[in-house]
Amino acid sequence: MDGSLFLQSLVLGILLGGLYALLAAGLTLYFGIMRVVMIAHSAFLILAAYLAWFFHRETGIDPLFSLVITVPLFFAVGVLMQRLLVARLRPITLTMMSVLLTFAIALVIEGMLGFVFSGTQRRIQLGYSGASIEVFGARLAVVKLITFALAAASLAALYAIMKYTRFGQALRATIQHKEAAQLVGIKTDRVAGYGFGLGLATAAIGGTALALDATIYPSLHWHWIGPLMAIIVVGGLGSIPGAAIAAMVLGIGQSLLQIPMGTTWAQTIFYVALFATLMLRPQGFFGGRLAQRF
Amino acid sequence: MSTKTTSIIRIGAMLGAATLALTACGGSDSGGGDDDGPITIGVSLPLTGDFAEPGKGVQRGYEAWAADVNDAGGLLGRKVELKILDDQSNADRVVADYESLIAQDEVDLVFGPFSTRLVVPAARVADEYGMLFVEPAGAAPEVFEQGFGNLFYAAPAVADDHYNYLAEWIEALPADQRPKTAAYAAMDDPFAMGTAYGLKDKMEAAGIKTVVDEKYPPNTTDFSSIAAKIEASNADMIVGGTQYQDAVNLIVALQQLDYQPKLAAFSTAPTNPEFPEAIGSKTEGILSPTGYTEQADIPTNKEFVESYTERNGNPPGEDEANAYTTGQVVAAAVEAVGCAEQGDCQQKLIDWLRDNEVDTVVGPLSWDEDGRPKGAHMIQQYVGGDIKIVLPESVKEAEIVYPKPAW
Repeated sequence: MDGSLFLQSLVLGILLGGLYALLAAGLTLYFGIMRVVMIAHSAFLILAAYLAWFFHRETGIDPLFSLVITVPLFFAVGVLMQRLLVARLRPITLTMMSVLLTFAIALVIEGMLGFVFSGTQRRIQLGYSGASIEVFGARLAVVKLITFALAAASLAALYAIMKYTRFGQALRATIQHKEAAQLVGIKTDRVAGYGFGLGLATAAIGGTALALDATIYPSLHWHWIGPLMAIIVVGGLGSIPGAAIAAMVLGIGQSLLQIPMGTTWAQTIFYVALFATLMLRPQGFFGGRLAQRF
Repeated sequence: MSTKTTSIIRIGAMLGAATLALTACGGSDSGGGDDDGPITIGVSLPLTGDFAEPGKGVQRGYEAWAADVNDAGGLLGRKVELKILDDQSNADRVVADYESLIAQDEVDLVFGPFSTRLVVPAARVADEYGMLFVEPAGAAPEVFEQGFGNLFYAAPAVADDHYNYLAEWIEALPADQRPKTAAYAAMDDPFAMGTAYGLKDKMEAAGIKTVVDEKYPPNTTDFSSIAAKIEASNADMIVGGTQYQDAVNLIVALQQLDYQPKLAAFSTAPTNPEFPEAIGSKTEGILSPTGYTEQADIPTNKEFVESYTERNGNPPGEDEANAYTTGQVVAAAVEAVGCAEQGDCQQKLIDWLRDNEVDTVVGPLSWDEDGRPKGAHMIQQYVGGDIKIVLPESVKEAEIVYPKPAW
């Protein structure tokens, strides 16, 4: 194998893994807090990407600034969605019914995007979309670096919130043992709502990052949800660090496997990893205590 | 129940055809007794459902053709009248539609519907009745592998031949200027692969080495790894068998890696008006084959564009042009043979088209025995920010730019 191609693919894999990590973080968070399988997560990603594209088209300002609007908006939508829809599902069948509910939400979002913006494939035209810098013979695209930086910053912020704030402690307590958390006075319903909002806020960031370097269309979200689901299972359901590590491993793996296997077969790494995880270590490879309860 | 009805219709149709054949024989020298009425042409189109958009485009093209013919005094001195049914993009309906158009309405001629999926069943019905079947859409290989004796595709070329002019041009380059290596990336789709691999076969025969040959599934959105392979090979030319988003994403990924080929050709995407919006100023030098452009300086095209624009307020697209071409092809056969009705006349029309070339808005067309057009697509290139025809020589609007400027 050509050394420079290997290095280039490795770099691309790391950058891709960063994006996967951000996109998967929110997904694993919903499951951790509420045992909700959020099929609509990737639909919200695409919605955020469309909003970034629309914002750029209407104002001409860099799409990154759309985050100022979309992050609070998505947080609010997440809280409302949890309080008004998800909280009404019966606890016994919550996980299963949440699949149906969020599947419906995904379809609604896809349909609305198609209705409002049509099925035409869109791309944000940026002056720096083709720009890159060279590091040790590998080329790093500026947009991919921005995406990676956004992902790293958001994941760091998420980690800090979870680890060092009272809200984060309450959230983790809710994840670990809901009844015990209620006993020490945590309003788990409210905490769960905010947690859901937090997850959707990561979708806003991830979607905007995606829009910088991809052509978007309403049904694009179906291509994302499969790999993301595989990542969070491999990483251990509910574990954010686990999801991040799994995302990085699988992202790099996919990128490197494309050299010998081609694009079609390299995609299967997600599902091979999913099967292997379920057979060998159903609680996930990086999951913490939570995952072991399943 | 329904089979019984069809067989009754078929018997009726045979009787009808026989009667028509008889009247045709009897009246051929005198010009025909009831030949003063309009020539009716039956069409079934997907006006609703999956193919509604292109289906309506084809309808506009047919209607434009009929209006132009009638303005010019009709066919064989008779007016033409279109009878268009909506098949709702449904292959079962398209069969029933053509059955009833031919057998019950006793139309004189039929035109094809839109898309391979509907062309094949419709052509089968027309074949059973021995009707000439010229169709405006359906370039995929399977259309021509059914053994239809009556089918003609009214467009310049099947997918494999789209790049023929470019291939000839490359082969004619002096040896020291010719690209020596080529990279191919094609979507796993019969049409997209056909375009790229059609050129690949010709380039390999001409001694241009294939250094990358990547096939990707239609759902691929991340092209950075494919781009990395192409960049590492440093191929002199890149050919994309692409639709739309794949071409855009691949081109941007190649630019990010600072890969600078001497020649870059991508099917379909560059002719899309969205393309320059997505790529920005970096389109310069990108090549693309195209079956039709309103700017082409081809006889009858200018008149078509003018009259169409006057009627519809906007210039015609490729669907409209291919439909118009279908009309021109059938009209040429009808004028040459001198008849337009069911029965023996249809076989004469078919035989005439086998042996003759027809001038159309997309250029002169002729066909092989399976109905494949023998032409090639024009090659367009982004020159000075606009997409212009560069090949073939006879219709070019600008000189081909080679080697391609850096993107």
